[in-house]
Amino acid sequence: DSHIQYERVGADVTMKCGSMDWDAAVTWTANGTDIDESHLNGSYLILKNVDLTQSGQYSCYEGSSWHLKYQTYLRVGIPPKEPVLMCRSNNYPKGFYCSWHLPTPTYIPNSFNISVIHGTKEMVCEKDAFPKNRCHIRYVHLFSTVKYKVTLTVTNALGKNSTSLTFDEFAIVKPDPPESVVAKPVPNNPRRLEVSWQNPSSWPDPESFPLKFFLRYRPLILDQWQHVELSDGTSHTITDAYAGKEYIIQVAAKDNDIGTWSDWSVAVHATPWTEEPKHLTTEAQITETTSTSTSSFMPPPTTKICDKGAVVGSGAVAVCWTAGLVLAAYGVLFI
Amino acid sequence: GDSWGIFTFLCAALCNLPALPALNCTEELGTSQSIQKTYDLTRYLEHQLRTLAGTYLNYLGPPFNEPDFNPPRLARAERVPSATVDLDLWRGLTDNARLAANYRAYSRLLCYLRALDGQAGTAELRHRLGHFCSSLQGLVLSIAGVMSSLGYPLPAGPPAGPPGTSVAPNDFLKKMDDFWLLKELQTWLWRSAKDFNRLKKKVPPAVVTLRLEARGF
Repeated sequence: DSHIQYERVGADVTMKCGSMDWDAAVTWTANGTDIDESHLNGSYLILKNVDLTQSGQYSCYEGSSWHLKYQTYLRVGIPPKEPVLMCRSNNYPKGFYCSWHLPTPTYIPNSFNISVIHGTKEMVCEKDAFPKNRCHIRYVHLFSTVKYKVTLTVTNALGKNSTSLTFDEFAIVKPDPPESVVAKPVPNNPRRLEVSWQNPSSWPDPESFPLKFFLRYRPLILDQWQHVELSDGTSHTITDAYAGKEYIIQVAAKDNDIGTWSDWSVAVHATPWTEEPKHLTTEAQITETTSTSTSSFMPPPTTKICDKGAVVGSGAVAVCWTAGLVLAAYGVLFI
Repeated sequence: GDSWGIFTFLCAALCNLPALPALNCTEELGTSQSIQKTYDLTRYLEHQLRTLAGTYLNYLGPPFNEPDFNPPRLARAERVPSATVDLDLWRGLTDNARLAANYRAYSRLLCYLRALDGQAGTAELRHRLGHFCSSLQGLVLSIAGVMSSLGYPLPAGPPAGPPGTSVAPNDFLKKMDDFWLLKELQTWLWRSAKDFNRLKKKVPPAVVTLRLEARGF
């Protein structure tokens, strides 16, 4: 009959051929390959200072009859190191989740046990189907003064290890990054970029638990970021972009009052609107056909500046009015 | 011995004073602005408390000033009003109930803090506590102002405290009481930010439209 045997890396392993006497004549194989007699001590197989490559199936056959007397599966591994545990509430006030992993592999199967204690009460952390090393807890009470203590124990055939986290309800609040970040140029505004985004979908109640946002942007050619903090709204217009330069933009979110900032969102790229060269020749044609005077003043093309869609902010309105007045004045002069 | 009796009496006297509504200031504030101001006050107090608590816990000494200190809740600590509430219950609170809970809690917390002020060790600590108590008094009045502008009656003043529970039998338990007081205060300030966020969204529409008209757009 066969079974599994777990041994530590670097250990010396002695395998007995089942119930056979020490002085019986036997042959050992490792994964079907005969093992040299130098590794034998009588009918015992001696493996010194085992390493990971020596994992495999070991079989012992009686010398003459070649009957299989014993079989074992050797798994070489290491006992678990202290696991890494993280707990976070990205769906406040619904609850929180904890996830964990081992800093180095053990090469053999491990089992994890997680316990959550709130004051004197033990709470059940429901294991998630996916990802595997994760469980979640629903808050029963909100605004608790008592800390939560989460203990994770890792066990395998060669040993165990554990780690603990103790925290307040508020300390672990960290939303997911904002979603659907979009950055668009603003027509006729060479220094503007319009950025919009959405609350992370995992945040269950933005009405009662509003988020505030942090936007950062820089042209690709520079290393220095510019930052804007926004206490509400899910859009912002950048007004100091360098004309014609491609920008990289990211947004982060945080509960208005508690917890920490989310990771940065996926980066979006955008370049502010630039005037296209061919428009200059079109303007020259228009002024040649409409102007009858020899005045050196070339009135600015009204279609461009005072376009309905181009009126953004009071600055542009002032330009529109001024251009209109100037044209009206010239019109009067030439009547 | 006698000083405790005096403090309890003073506490009872202070806490039974009628709270003045915030409308004795010259500016007439819309309800939504009052709520915003109350919200801002809770944030300011929460910030102030961080420094105050740090200083006070250092004064109490270890283990109270250790970041991992996580003692079990003793029965006697229940007299300090707790912000902890069932999630669905908290969601379903009426505006009146929400405001009243805040008002009652801070009135009592203020009371206990003032008692603390009387026996605090260093002059710096007494000064900080005094300043904080003034700000906390401002919060209580601000909440009262919101309640009266919404037409809600103010809850009755806090009781003088059930007899026999006010004196801690020994120095360590007294320090535990102080620790839990500061903890509850901190939690209340976090909760209030959320309470007032909810209230901000539920201000009666009539008040909001009046404000827009006043801007002359």
